[in-house]
Amino acid sequence: MTESTAPRRILAGPFNRVEGDLEIRLDIEGDAVRAAYVNSPLFRGFERILEGKDPRDALTIVPRICGICSVSQSVAAARALGAAAGISPPINGERVTSLLHAVENMADHLTHFYLFFMADFARQAYSGWAWHGEISRLFQAKTGVAVRQAVDARAQLLTIMGLLAGKWPHTLSIQPGGVTKAPDARDRVRCLAIMRAFRHWLEANLVGASLESFIALNSREALEAWSRGHIGLFLRISEDLDLGRLGPGAPRFMSYGAYEVAGTHLFKAGLNFDGMPGILDTRRIVEDLSHSWMLGETSHPFDGSTIPDEAMRDEAYSWCKAPRYDGRTVEVGAFARQLIDGHPLAPALLHDGCANVRARVVGRALELALSVVACEGWIKDIEVASDFISPAQIPDFAQVTGLCEAARGSLGHWLTIRDGRIAGYQIVAPTTWNFSPRDGQGVPGALEAALVGARVTDGEQTPLSVQHIVRSFDPCMVCTVH
Amino acid sequence: MAQLETFYDVMRRQGISRRSFLKFCSLTATALGLGPLYTARIAHAMETKPRTPVIWLHGLECTCCSESFIRSAHPLVKDVVLSMISLDYDDTLMAAAGHQAEAALEDTIEKYKGQYILAVEGNPPLNEDGMFCIIGGKPFVEQLKHAAQNAKAIISWGSCASHGCVQAARPNPTRAVPVHKVITDKPIIKVPGCPPIAEVMTGVITYMLTFDRLPELDRTGRPKMFYSQRIHDKCYRRPHFDAGQFVEHFDDEGARRGYCLYKMGCKGPTTYNACSTVQWNEGTSFPIKAGHGCIGCSEEGFWDKGSWYARLTDIHAFGVEANADKIGGTVAGAIGATVAVHAAISALKRAQTKSASKSVQKMDTH
Repeated sequence: MTESTAPRRILAGPFNRVEGDLEIRLDIEGDAVRAAYVNSPLFRGFERILEGKDPRDALTIVPRICGICSVSQSVAAARALGAAAGISPPINGERVTSLLHAVENMADHLTHFYLFFMADFARQAYSGWAWHGEISRLFQAKTGVAVRQAVDARAQLLTIMGLLAGKWPHTLSIQPGGVTKAPDARDRVRCLAIMRAFRHWLEANLVGASLESFIALNSREALEAWSRGHIGLFLRISEDLDLGRLGPGAPRFMSYGAYEVAGTHLFKAGLNFDGMPGILDTRRIVEDLSHSWMLGETSHPFDGSTIPDEAMRDEAYSWCKAPRYDGRTVEVGAFARQLIDGHPLAPALLHDGCANVRARVVGRALELALSVVACEGWIKDIEVASDFISPAQIPDFAQVTGLCEAARGSLGHWLTIRDGRIAGYQIVAPTTWNFSPRDGQGVPGALEAALVGARVTDGEQTPLSVQHIVRSFDPCMVCTVH
Repeated sequence: MAQLETFYDVMRRQGISRRSFLKFCSLTATALGLGPLYTARIAHAMETKPRTPVIWLHGLECTCCSESFIRSAHPLVKDVVLSMISLDYDDTLMAAAGHQAEAALEDTIEKYKGQYILAVEGNPPLNEDGMFCIIGGKPFVEQLKHAAQNAKAIISWGSCASHGCVQAARPNPTRAVPVHKVITDKPIIKVPGCPPIAEVMTGVITYMLTFDRLPELDRTGRPKMFYSQRIHDKCYRRPHFDAGQFVEHFDDEGARRGYCLYKMGCKGPTTYNACSTVQWNEGTSFPIKAGHGCIGCSEEGFWDKGSWYARLTDIHAFGVEANADKIGGTVAGAIGATVAVHAAISALKRAQTKSASKSVQKMDTH
């Protein structure tokens, strides 16, 4: 046991079953993590590539930041360009955009639960638990019964992308003025049928009951009594392993607001700092570069730049910048959205004011259910004979923001146009917030904070508790640094 | 050299019935454009030949190729192909993590020296000694070279691995290069597209696994079976092109009627891919069908050829009723001219951008 009592340092990773590459340095003392340093080891330089280009070309370039959240990137770019042109899409364009965006986000939530997250409970280390056999049968990486079914359900759901967006990933039909595809009555019926089939799949597998009854859960007790479906199985594990206390992030949450139709968001925009709701003001956002291999001062994204530090100086340890709101770290994602939108279950899942592994996973399941109901509504409301796109004239000079909520949280594009060309383009992605390195004050990012105190057993190279916490955020590393 | 089981053994072990196996063989024959006689040949090959191991590596990328791949239209094809390739190494989907995963990769390389196919998604960045893409503490370019050394052949998935793609766009901050710039002594099959169509990916890999040889390639290294026709050749909006009926704005009457998108910057006439035949997302659609022109994502350099939305107005002269022959001839000339003009602009711009970025921070070092 001498090994575990002396302070030691391990390099956990590379992580699989996360989107992109990730490495975490862990300082361990006794049987727990004392400090964590998160490194995003992949940099491509999209913000530099965008400079000097025709602003409209952002619509083709930014989706390619990420093969998983490409629609979110398209939506943020289209919003920024729409703001520059001073237009917003006709209501039916907004309905289709919201539908496309929600379908991608739902596909991501499904992938996270079935392909990335649950497989960890099928590990040998858990073989002593009563649920291990069932979990292995269902969730074993790649071969689990539920894994295979979820991959099929997901592919079926994404045919909506084919019908309304031509192609996914890297859809082109989302434009500043709306969408290029005007669906006809047949498309609408097919979309509704696909969404109904997806609802049935979720009801039969994920929640084991009607989506409405899951949405109606409003207290911790009611949730803990829920034993049906795969989510019931997760809740049982959650109780056995105390996942409701594992991985507390920052007690501050943010949402830019998701799915805007006719001036209203389905999940509203806002803040929740230490239990207090607040109003979002993006002017209070800065990116701190003190611990990232980037050159420049701490600045608002409109004044920011992306100049990699070729010397890779010693104080820094990640390509990721450190975004802060009012100088503070925040956590973003499905749970943050539900908390800010006021779903009664969300505050009941907090532990000491913080989100945790259980809260993040339940937040996604809740959002899946809510989104299906919303999508059915948008599809039914689509008026086939109306306009889906308005003309957009991009001016030669503009400074604008494009905001949206990706599956993993708040995504913002800050665009400056000068002489008809892109003069500045800064992107702050959800995982940039959650997986940020330390700032100038030495304050760790949300994940870095969440890992402190995680249990490490003897000889573990990539501790299981660390893996649960990391995957509970559903990181998208390719978006993080871009 | 380790003795390997056959594909058939693998599939049976994964719970795929003989009936499904035979169905898979006939689907494969169809997908590859082979006659019904080939069903038996494919079945025979899979029952008798030892399976080919596959190692799937990820470099600088966005994972869109994997995303596309796991959505192949036919669940059976996807199951079979996944069970064929999942046995060895793929870090996005596999169960192991961290050093275990690294060890699994080493094991596979060691055990199947000279026998395995290396599938590469993404590409290696060379600036700063490759430190913009670090895997397991080492630059990806080293992992790539290491794994390539003992590979039988390499598949370059997608435009990143095949050509460079948008991350290699000016000023190419990380100096991202396609796989064939780094690996020069192995046969490389390029499957470009951003991402490639799922059925094209499964088709290529199934062909290689079943027949144990490379598909026939064109002079740029792409499999002819999927990349020998232009989007334009089989585009369902082609009659509108021939009739001179064009969309002028995304919100005009022509857009609503599904006219040709050439004037909106569509690159269908110069892009070789299977989008207009195989189509996307379970064969439902492709970008032109959703009202947006093709951006030519499977063509080399598509990312640096000027704005995708620049309007092409050089064919205004067509009369709506002009006959197809006349248009065909004129258009060939017009496209030629467009490409030449683009090329000239690109060369100039490249020189400009290069010197500009050098003076700012000397990032583009090639």
